[in-house]
Amino acid sequence: MAAEARGGDFPVGMKVLVVDDDPTCLVVLKRMLLECRYDVTTCPQATRALTMLRENRRGFDVIISDVHMPDMDGFRLLELVGLEMDLPVIMMSADSRTDIVMKGIKHGACDYLIKPVRMEELKNIWQHVVRKKFNENKDHEHSGSLDDTDRNRPINNDNEYASSANDGGDGSWKSQKKKREKEEDEADLESGDPSSTSKKPRVVWSVELHQQFVNAVNHLGIDKAVPKKILELMNVPGLTRENVASHLQKFRLYLKRIAQHHAGIPHPFVAPASSGKVAPLGGLEFQALVASGQIPPQALAAFQDELLGRPTSSLALPGRDQSSLRLAAIKGNKPHGEREIAFGQPIYKCQNNAYGAFPQSSPGVGGLPSFGAWPNNKLGMTDSPSALANVSNSQNSNLLLHELQQQPDSLLTGTLHNIDVKPSGIVMPSQSLNVFPASEGISPNQNPLAIPSQSQSFLASIPPSMKHEPLLASSSPSNSLLGGIDMVSQASTSQPLISTHGANLPGLMNRSSNAMPSPGISNFQSGNNPYVVNQNAMGVSSRPLGVLKTESTDSLSCSYGYIGGSTSVDSGLLSSQSKNPQYGLLQSPNDITGSWSPSQDIDSYGNTLGQGHPGSTSSNYQSSNVALGKLPDQGRGRNHGFVGKGTCIPSRFAVDEVESPTNNLSHSIGSSADIVNPDIFGFSGQM
Amino acid sequence: MAAANQLTALLNNMYATGLLDEQFQQLQMLQDSSSPDFVSEVVTLFCQDGERIIGELAKLLEKPSVDFDRVDAFVHQLKGSSASVGAQKVKNTCIQFREFCQSRSKDGCLKTLDSVRTEFYDLRGKFQTMLQLERQLQGFYPK
Repeated sequence: MAAEARGGDFPVGMKVLVVDDDPTCLVVLKRMLLECRYDVTTCPQATRALTMLRENRRGFDVIISDVHMPDMDGFRLLELVGLEMDLPVIMMSADSRTDIVMKGIKHGACDYLIKPVRMEELKNIWQHVVRKKFNENKDHEHSGSLDDTDRNRPINNDNEYASSANDGGDGSWKSQKKKREKEEDEADLESGDPSSTSKKPRVVWSVELHQQFVNAVNHLGIDKAVPKKILELMNVPGLTRENVASHLQKFRLYLKRIAQHHAGIPHPFVAPASSGKVAPLGGLEFQALVASGQIPPQALAAFQDELLGRPTSSLALPGRDQSSLRLAAIKGNKPHGEREIAFGQPIYKCQNNAYGAFPQSSPGVGGLPSFGAWPNNKLGMTDSPSALANVSNSQNSNLLLHELQQQPDSLLTGTLHNIDVKPSGIVMPSQSLNVFPASEGISPNQNPLAIPSQSQSFLASIPPSMKHEPLLASSSPSNSLLGGIDMVSQASTSQPLISTHGANLPGLMNRSSNAMPSPGISNFQSGNNPYVVNQNAMGVSSRPLGVLKTESTDSLSCSYGYIGGSTSVDSGLLSSQSKNPQYGLLQSPNDITGSWSPSQDIDSYGNTLGQGHPGSTSSNYQSSNVALGKLPDQGRGRNHGFVGKGTCIPSRFAVDEVESPTNNLSHSIGSSADIVNPDIFGFSGQM
Repeated sequence: MAAANQLTALLNNMYATGLLDEQFQQLQMLQDSSSPDFVSEVVTLFCQDGERIIGELAKLLEKPSVDFDRVDAFVHQLKGSSASVGAQKVKNTCIQFREFCQSRSKDGCLKTLDSVRTEFYDLRGKFQTMLQLERQLQGFYPK
């Protein structure tokens, strides 16, 4: 961490970046933070803040961001930061409504402060920095052991056992899932178990790894996908059941979130034949997803549609990979530690999608979506100085080479653009790229699992190699989703595909291995979930990969539900709907009288009003949180999180700036140029 | 000193009447030799920003068809900045204001806008007096 690097006196000097469009608040916070002896940088614009972060990943230890900002929704920024830089983000707002706070938490916020922020609260923010780091390390500690200290573990264990016992009964699984989700939410927010003080490298869910994961899940069927079996299928050395379990948890949450978001989305199913795009979710998967209630059919369709976007999406274009891979290979040997796709908490969001996206059924493929593993990771991995890394390095190289051959650079470039892989536990493919053999279905060997022995400072920045991954600039946006993602997959190792932080793990998905072949993959990527990599597996429509089934393409889009198709989709990732959606609350019209808590004299901040205010009003305000069902945030009237309309691109990938429909990945998917919208992929665009 | 007494009296009054809350106290405590003009800076920013927002609100509410979401967004901004500065009354009125926005009540909004405006200008006037008194004191006790 930057602060640690400065040595000594932690948390003195811890670098905080504050983002808020309110100048008054910015000045007050700055003063307070300085009083806490932190190093403070303020920025009134989210877009500018993101640029700053991208340019200098190591420059900050923690970010505090307002929720409602004019140029970008705070949740979107949160996701992007989580995905690209894996830095702890604290949300803040004058809005204390529970649903908004919940949204912040689900998007991966380390904390949520209600304005006016008090000094005491700021004094403690360093805990989030430390906690995050420790948690990451902890993931690596428990390799294969059941004695999980991580709070997630027990939950996972329970769920896992239960589901095994129940043979995947939906009911039990669902209830478990719910419980897990809740607990995961809490767990995610809580500080990690301090017992693990060793700096074990944490598992970074690279694109490849994630793809393997998705493949495995698809293969098993979401209902039957238990960590143990997934682990077995993935066959990644060094990966523990716990790693998989927590990843699975996140993935499910993500899927659920996507499903919820797309509940109202029209069902733009693209007939398999119609879109040459990435194969939609495999029939099985889709069904599974839908059956599980996670993803509404329409959502999936929409998502897939979007994801797949383009018929010629650059899914795993063989040509592409090569260059990217080559680059990856080159970069792979750099000491990075930075570019790993950290699979931070927010990542699960994407995962869910991905999960859904995967076409389970593709017979040829074994139903595995070719999530391009994150090629970048491989690269990153090679760099990481760990025992595993060594191993991975070699593997990576193999992978890289392999991938290079498989994918055109262009794919990667586009998607990887914004992906900043944080080097935390690099996951390296244990085997050659093969991970994403579109045609094969699960390629267990691809698992890039690299667990660096030393954890990089947890704020390690992304290795330069990743950053400049030219690979990302996929020339062919073929992959609908994130064009970039495709690339990522294609580049397979070179690009740290989109860190899956935050929901947008798009890059992850397609990255390679499976994705390779199909442009379909790209589709996913743009969409919502990196996992959705379905594209890969799916046989991205454009590609006749064989593996990717066309049918899956459709499902892909659907599965992700992310899809941009409906602008609202924003998968809730970030964008808040423009119209006052942020509040999403419908307040009952006459609540001034405080129907809810008539006698409360507490305002939304919980401060006693005592000013003769009709207590009711404040309470009303609060109670009206009943929420309407919050609309996907789109920022003030903008589709911030949403890349282009209808694209399945997770908001994450949406451009930083106002998301105009043109940012759609879908647009980009067709053309490499488009894909490069860094934001879309969460990349800084410098790839 | 007369100025000192006046300043104290003024602040006490502002607290007592609920114009200011403890957040403002926190700001006062943050002012020290390293940031001698902190309170003045914050207060000035708040006054400028608040005025801008109220202007925007007035414009939005003048329209025949009111965009309540945008109105709400501005009110939310004002709520945030008033909370940050400790402007309690303004903040609370913003809370009410948001309720009217939620319920899409133009009349309610207009009425509340008037309240907010009144309270805001009242506060601003007092802030200006406060700053003047402070400057006088600084003149007497240069830092």
